[in-house]
Amino acid sequence: MSSGAISGPARAGGGRDIPAPAARWRDYLGENGVQKWVFYIPVVFFLLFFAAPMALTVVWSVFERTQFWMEPGFTLFAYDNFFSSARAENYLFSMLHGAASVVIAFAIGFPIAVFIRRRVTRVAQHRVILLFILPFMISELVRVFAMRPVLGRHGIVNSLLMELGVISEPITVILYSPLGVIIGDVMSFLPFMIFAGFLALEAVQNYIFEVCDDLGTGRVRLFTHIILPLAAPGIFAGSVFIFVNSLGVALVPTLLGGPGAVNAGLIANQAIVALDFPLAMAISTIMIVTLVALLYIGHRLFDLTKVLEPIS
Amino acid sequence: MNQMQWTRRAFMYASSALGTAAVMGQIPGATAAEGQALKIWANPGVHKVGAKDWSAMEAQAGIKIAATAKSARADEAIQKMVVGDGNKLFDAVTDNGGGMEDALASQRAIVPLDTARIPNWKNIVPHYREGGIAANTLRYEGKVYSTPIISNADSLAYDFKQIGAHPDSWGVMFDSQFKGRVALQNDFGPTLTNMAIYLKESGKIEIGNASDMTPKEVQAVCEFLIDWKKKGQFRTFWDGFQNGVGLLASGEVLVMSCWEPIQIIANRKTGDKADLHYGTMKEGHQTWNNMIMLTKGGRQRGAEELYYKLANVYLSTWFGARTLATLGYQPQMVGVDEYIKANPEDFPTSVQADILDILTRKTARFANKGNAWQNVFPKHIRAYQDWWARLQAA
Repeated sequence: MSSGAISGPARAGGGRDIPAPAARWRDYLGENGVQKWVFYIPVVFFLLFFAAPMALTVVWSVFERTQFWMEPGFTLFAYDNFFSSARAENYLFSMLHGAASVVIAFAIGFPIAVFIRRRVTRVAQHRVILLFILPFMISELVRVFAMRPVLGRHGIVNSLLMELGVISEPITVILYSPLGVIIGDVMSFLPFMIFAGFLALEAVQNYIFEVCDDLGTGRVRLFTHIILPLAAPGIFAGSVFIFVNSLGVALVPTLLGGPGAVNAGLIANQAIVALDFPLAMAISTIMIVTLVALLYIGHRLFDLTKVLEPIS
Repeated sequence: MNQMQWTRRAFMYASSALGTAAVMGQIPGATAAEGQALKIWANPGVHKVGAKDWSAMEAQAGIKIAATAKSARADEAIQKMVVGDGNKLFDAVTDNGGGMEDALASQRAIVPLDTARIPNWKNIVPHYREGGIAANTLRYEGKVYSTPIISNADSLAYDFKQIGAHPDSWGVMFDSQFKGRVALQNDFGPTLTNMAIYLKESGKIEIGNASDMTPKEVQAVCEFLIDWKKKGQFRTFWDGFQNGVGLLASGEVLVMSCWEPIQIIANRKTGDKADLHYGTMKEGHQTWNNMIMLTKGGRQRGAEELYYKLANVYLSTWFGARTLATLGYQPQMVGVDEYIKANPEDFPTSVQADILDILTRKTARFANKGNAWQNVFPKHIRAYQDWWARLQAA
């Protein structure tokens, strides 16, 4: 009996097994107890905080608008309003700006990731990559706001170029314009491309580069035929992060965009402040569909499961 | 309305840095109910006259105040007070007149007031008594539901050093010599109303009510703006107090429709580099106010007396003089000029002339026949939204 609490169930009276407290706890916490259910926590979390809100967004988008809220019903008016108004046009422009930001971020960020992976010593690589986290420690509002004294009419860029005699009039197209928004997006979200690219390259074993060197593979060929295909899932993941933020973060067009500049997030926000909740939900649903479609295409092209899969 | 209110929040936070006068004595006979604080949901800066905390307001009212910071977003206020727990949480709430009182009263979230219990109501500026739209901004179905706190007539700011003149018409925004140096507020409410006032009063477009336009009128105003946008007249549409200040102070734009405190702060920032003024437009301006309302829950909890004491402070010359001097807003009561002159220890004679000059110009701006009061929920709000989206896309 004394050891039963540790070694197994206790036996009492008529021979029926009665678990001792410790054994009972072990059963509760064991493979058939809590452990069995603990694996469902992420599923419950996903259902509660991702699937349910998304489902509600879709359902609310077909509700009837009332003066201050909405009521159950079925109408596609919000979708009709979205596609028949200039909002669809604004949304497409927002996607175009997002795509441009992705391309520029790739052109700048991926070479940085390759450089860190190939040229920086293994020990220092993670420290260098962590440097790119530093900007994220500053409020995004401050970061974006700080670009205005740099890009403005009397900003650092214009003052410098005028001082050097490169220009005689300030360049105004770099701020309060679509280009200003793209510059803002790239500066804000560039680290996503660097991180994702670096992580993707980290899975590429060094011997692959060594073999290429031994075989005399040129740099361009090495980049296009080896690095790019191996890092493609990571690049795509970084691109999605940038695209999503460009589409949804309202701060950049608000502070750096031209007259009336918007992105998808701002369009939805404007619908909410005008108390048009079904329209805001419809815009959000369209954003969800866009992103799911994007992920599906990306998965078909690059097999996104490889993003976190180390090469063995 | 909407973005304007949202962005005004930023200013309300920022304005707390302006400082205000020291705590004054209590109003005779005004004593707080034992242990009970008035729970208010209010803009954190302007509604305590820019002070760091509510102590001066508490001392004036003779009550305790438990304040919760509130943005001025219409959607947030409606959700909280109509479908949320606002009535459980708050005894009083502040917001914009000319729509929010109607919305909240129609949903029975706020209760009518007995103005006889607010001694300073007798000093309220006359246009709130005379009927018409100004009076309606405080009323729902003829009953008073709110006490005004501040108001203003929105106009445009300009850099006199660069322009070399004091414009008196909104037409200056469409002067081709300022191409690319003009900014509008990124909010369809005030922007379309002010532009409608300009187009109506200058005879360019026939418009009935500038603050409650028909869809065709909204279209005409927006097409006018789209045309000028395509010509490159506008540098940007500003959003947010600091954003507006930055645009003016940096010299990025020379003419900008904005709130008056933006011009005041930007002018302080620029020093001698610019000479920023806030104009009075002959066509008129959008006028607006902020007000405080007693919630149904507040009355049920017996907070009525506390509300009336605070409302009395908002209609006191003590509050009016300070809100004018520090934030540049229009006092909601008469007698502010006499109060300022009678209190040189708080308003030194060296600055009295400037403050009174602002009040004189402000009063003249309010008297303009072309003015239109803000309408938070115009009848054809969807037309406003849709055409604003087209202007954005143009």
